[in-house]
Amino acid sequence: MSAHYRYNRYKDDPDDPDYSGSQHRMQGYSITQDHPNVPAPMNNPDYPSTKRNPYSGGSRTSPDYPASFAEPDYPGSPDNPDRPSTRNNSFSAISRISPDYHRSLQEPDYMEFQRNPYPPGSSGQPDYPRSQKNSDFTYSRSTRNYADSRTHPDYFGSLGEPDYLETQSNTNHPGPRGNSNHSGSRRNLQYAGSRINTRTDSLGDPDYLGAKNQPNSPHFFGEPDYSDAEDYQNSPDIWGEPDYPDAENGHDYGFSETLGMTRGIPTRTSSIQPSFHHRGNGSLGILRGENEDYPENIEMTSMGMAHSHRHPLPGAPGKGYVNPAYVGESGPVRAYGNPPLSESDWHKSPHGQKLIASLIPMTSRDRIKAIRNQPRTMEEKRNLRKTVDKEKSKQSHRRRELNCCAQCINSISQAYQKSKNSLSEILSSFSLWQKRFKVIGGKFGTSVLSYFNFLRWLLKFNIFSFIVNFSFIVIPQLTLAEKNTLQFTGLEFFTGAGYFRDTVMYYGFYTNSTIRHGASGASYNMQLAYIFTIGVCLVICFFSLLFSMAKYFRNNFINPHIYSRGIAKLIFCWDFTVTHENAVKLKQKNLSTEIRENLSEIRQENVKLTLNQQLTRFSAHVAGWVVSTGVAVACCVAVYYLAEYNSEFLRTHRNPGAVLLLPFVVSCINLVVPRLYSMFRLVERYEMPRHEVYILLIRNIFLKISIIGILCYYWLNIVALSGEECWETLIGQEIYRLLLMDFVFSLADSFLGEFLRRIIGMKFIANLGLQEFDIARNVLELIYAQTLVWIGIFFCPLLPFIQMITLFIMFYAKNISLMMNFQPPSKAWRASQMMTFFIFLLFFPSFTGVLCTLAITIWRLKPSVDCGPFRGLPFFIHSIYSWIDTLRKRPGYLWVVWIYQNLIGSVHFFFILTLIVLIITYLYWQITEGRKIMIRLLHEQIINEGKDKMFLIEKLMKLQDTEKRANPSGLVLERREVEQQSPWHLGEHDAVPELRFRQSVQEDNPRT
Amino acid sequence: AAGSISGLYVLHKEGDHEDLAPQLIPLDYTSCPDVKVPYELIGSMPELKDNPFRQRIAQVFSDDGDGHMTLNNFLDMFSVMSEMAPRDLKAYYAFKIYDFNNDDYICAWDLEQTVTKLTRGELSAEEVSLVCEKVLDEADGDHDGRLSLEDFQNMILRAPDFLSTFHIRI
Repeated sequence: MSAHYRYNRYKDDPDDPDYSGSQHRMQGYSITQDHPNVPAPMNNPDYPSTKRNPYSGGSRTSPDYPASFAEPDYPGSPDNPDRPSTRNNSFSAISRISPDYHRSLQEPDYMEFQRNPYPPGSSGQPDYPRSQKNSDFTYSRSTRNYADSRTHPDYFGSLGEPDYLETQSNTNHPGPRGNSNHSGSRRNLQYAGSRINTRTDSLGDPDYLGAKNQPNSPHFFGEPDYSDAEDYQNSPDIWGEPDYPDAENGHDYGFSETLGMTRGIPTRTSSIQPSFHHRGNGSLGILRGENEDYPENIEMTSMGMAHSHRHPLPGAPGKGYVNPAYVGESGPVRAYGNPPLSESDWHKSPHGQKLIASLIPMTSRDRIKAIRNQPRTMEEKRNLRKTVDKEKSKQSHRRRELNCCAQCINSISQAYQKSKNSLSEILSSFSLWQKRFKVIGGKFGTSVLSYFNFLRWLLKFNIFSFIVNFSFIVIPQLTLAEKNTLQFTGLEFFTGAGYFRDTVMYYGFYTNSTIRHGASGASYNMQLAYIFTIGVCLVICFFSLLFSMAKYFRNNFINPHIYSRGIAKLIFCWDFTVTHENAVKLKQKNLSTEIRENLSEIRQENVKLTLNQQLTRFSAHVAGWVVSTGVAVACCVAVYYLAEYNSEFLRTHRNPGAVLLLPFVVSCINLVVPRLYSMFRLVERYEMPRHEVYILLIRNIFLKISIIGILCYYWLNIVALSGEECWETLIGQEIYRLLLMDFVFSLADSFLGEFLRRIIGMKFIANLGLQEFDIARNVLELIYAQTLVWIGIFFCPLLPFIQMITLFIMFYAKNISLMMNFQPPSKAWRASQMMTFFIFLLFFPSFTGVLCTLAITIWRLKPSVDCGPFRGLPFFIHSIYSWIDTLRKRPGYLWVVWIYQNLIGSVHFFFILTLIVLIITYLYWQITEGRKIMIRLLHEQIINEGKDKMFLIEKLMKLQDTEKRANPSGLVLERREVEQQSPWHLGEHDAVPELRFRQSVQEDNPRT
Repeated sequence: AAGSISGLYVLHKEGDHEDLAPQLIPLDYTSCPDVKVPYELIGSMPELKDNPFRQRIAQVFSDDGDGHMTLNNFLDMFSVMSEMAPRDLKAYYAFKIYDFNNDDYICAWDLEQTVTKLTRGELSAEEVSLVCEKVLDEADGDHDGRLSLEDFQNMILRAPDFLSTFHIRI
């Protein structure tokens, strides 16, 4: 590769003012006689004619490519004799000029430097074939050419020139020169040329061409996309290899180049025409103008085009921004020299080939995933996919007869993928609160955002439940609505009783009959609909919870051993979502304090606490636990007795507002006790903030769940057995009130409590400062509310709807309060781990508790006699039993009965299932254990490999040192290479390495 | 990837790029992906302007490492920084971003750069070097005194937040 690099380095240089200056001089003096030949005016007449071609063709997709391509002379032989004829075809006027023009290009290196006595006039035609065929004659010359700097300007010139026709004649350069680098690199340049064509003809925008045609504009080279495979069919071997010693190769390239070139002619000429003048000059030697001229060129081109698309481009140079981009990088030079370019062809390299080969046998989904995982640009990925698809179709052609079935499945799966993609696209475009999320993330970072994410997730959950309930329970019930005789006062919104009692909101309103409209209409059994809808809803909730929990677990607990102190994590996990200026500053400040704390912890790691301190700390923890548990138990007892007393009280007094007492007390407990718990930290003083958060969470969840538990116990054991008329509706109302009260409290808390806290923090006690958003407490509130909704869904099917509304309002309330009253959290919060933990909490005590409660209700409790869909049944579950019994009488449905009897109703089946699940779990557990050991071993191996590597490097260094001492001149070249590479890497442009390069080439060549 | 990319593309069409340089980007920029937006504009877009690593991001995703971006570069950047991008891909580009001197290793010098950028120079030189030492200590699997891509990926695996924080919302 060293040669390649060197070449790059070399190519870099024309940027330099001196270099191009000298170039200028050289050219000027060497080709003075060409001056008259090249000028634009002469070429002009014919260019328009070509130009007219694509335009008159009506389609910008350049129908003339194929035309010129199809011309028999071009592809077939790159020889010159053919060319003039083609020329004559397209450019009728200047057949006279073309040879000269040729010469003007050729001369600097061919005529002058090679000192080849070709007569200038004939140069165009006879030499080239000769030189092309004549591979040996080049050799000696090539060395000189190569070594001579003046060769290059010409290269450039020819490239810079708008007409590739002439450059085409250069196709033989690689051949005669026989020089590896040249042919290789030239090839690349030609790429650029041919790429222009492909671009244009795929895009079909002539205006665009104007800008693109700058050989200097980096895109040509820098762009990784060689979309047209045709152009680089023969490239793989060219690219990777540093040298092409034989002229034959060159010959080949010449050929393919010609192809590329021919295709290039029409467009180039057509679009460049107005700016040709500049270019012509450039070729004559005003190369210095290259950089400065570019913008101008663009302008002229596009103006001259007088095309509708013109406007953007003139704007571009005018802006002054483009210039740095275009000029600063100066073209082929840097872009060419860049590694990305060589990478851009990576899928032709052995590595790329291997990748493609490995991609082919994959299924389409895996393949997409694998391609997506490649750290490549999009263009490259697209190309890769195209290549793989092509290969795949090639292979499948052979097998088509055998498995058209597989093909069919394949196409179906592809269509499915496509539709899924478009669906997800549509869904993501509807995603709620995208803008607000961005603002929150920008100001408060990911951790606070996770709360809002959780809220949105719950909202989606509730929307889904609502849709299911509404369409399968509420709508059928609404079709046979009875007149509601109760009076509506407005207080019902708070109590949930009164008027609402006889609406679709509560269980008691639903009928137990079979709904049938018309004599022949399908019947709809309300009983079954009710129990199945709720059941399906819960089952779907269960699975979606399970899957999202599994996903989070997988993402967050991949690695079994986690470092205790992750200072690396602090450093490499900068939150890129934070975009607000002050937030960034604050975050940086927080981060530095945290790093400092971390460092001081590391420093004081060995400082052990005395026994006394340990004892006090331990006793503080114990006391904390005892007090918190005691408080929770006391709260539960209080709630229980209050509920019992309240029902007595309500029986005697018929005040509709009195029912609000219990929810009020519960909400008060939920408001006050968590704050009390968080005060404990003043006493307990945990070492790790994470421990503190977790312990706080555990205590809070214990409190909330035990309150809900005690309420459930009260409902199921006291309310349900009290013989009250329609106890299901009563429970539904109670849950409604609890939910509403909780909502009111959180609203008041966010608008009043947090606001007051801010006022106090800002005005009165300055050192309190702004408060931080307590994610844990807020999330627990959400979990609490969601648990209530799940319990209540059976008694009050519209509860998800209410929760939907409250969540929606809560989002805005919390958002406003957050923006007004809070500051970003100072500690790095393990947001994603916390999310995992929250979802786990939502699943484990909350959802499983709900399932238990509902199971007890359905299997053990007697529905009320006079209301609801299950009236008159001994147990709720009897609706299913009787359904099975009716199915037994119909022969068509015996399979349902069989499934019921043998799977759902059978103890044996569940016994076996449990056993199998246990066995599988055990096996997986063992596998994980094994993997843990494996990971440890591999980790050790990595460490050992590293040691090996260091050892070998040391040894190598030593060896090199001794060798250098023994033979000081031997390594000179090598060092030079390194030197040449490094400035190139850094993108510096200076002439010194270039000189060195020339020397090294001179040294190199005699050797070869 | 097509879905997310085209989604981005639409977004892009609606706002970002054109806001950045209305004169610079032709109306039908879909047909000329080679127009470059200079780093000055890329770095001043609201998503990046306060990001301490904005320059590195732009450099990593531009063709020539100079921060000037074409439409394709721009899309590449946001596809990597999107939510959907796989972990390894994100880790790869994060590695490149933190590798300030482009030598394919995160060495102590790179780490120092990172730490200074992260803390706005609030830490003393001694603290910075101590942090670098600690990081190398923690993450350097093969003990060669610098972090290779593998080391980095291995460490990222242990930082579950990485996925959600290495993400630019648009």
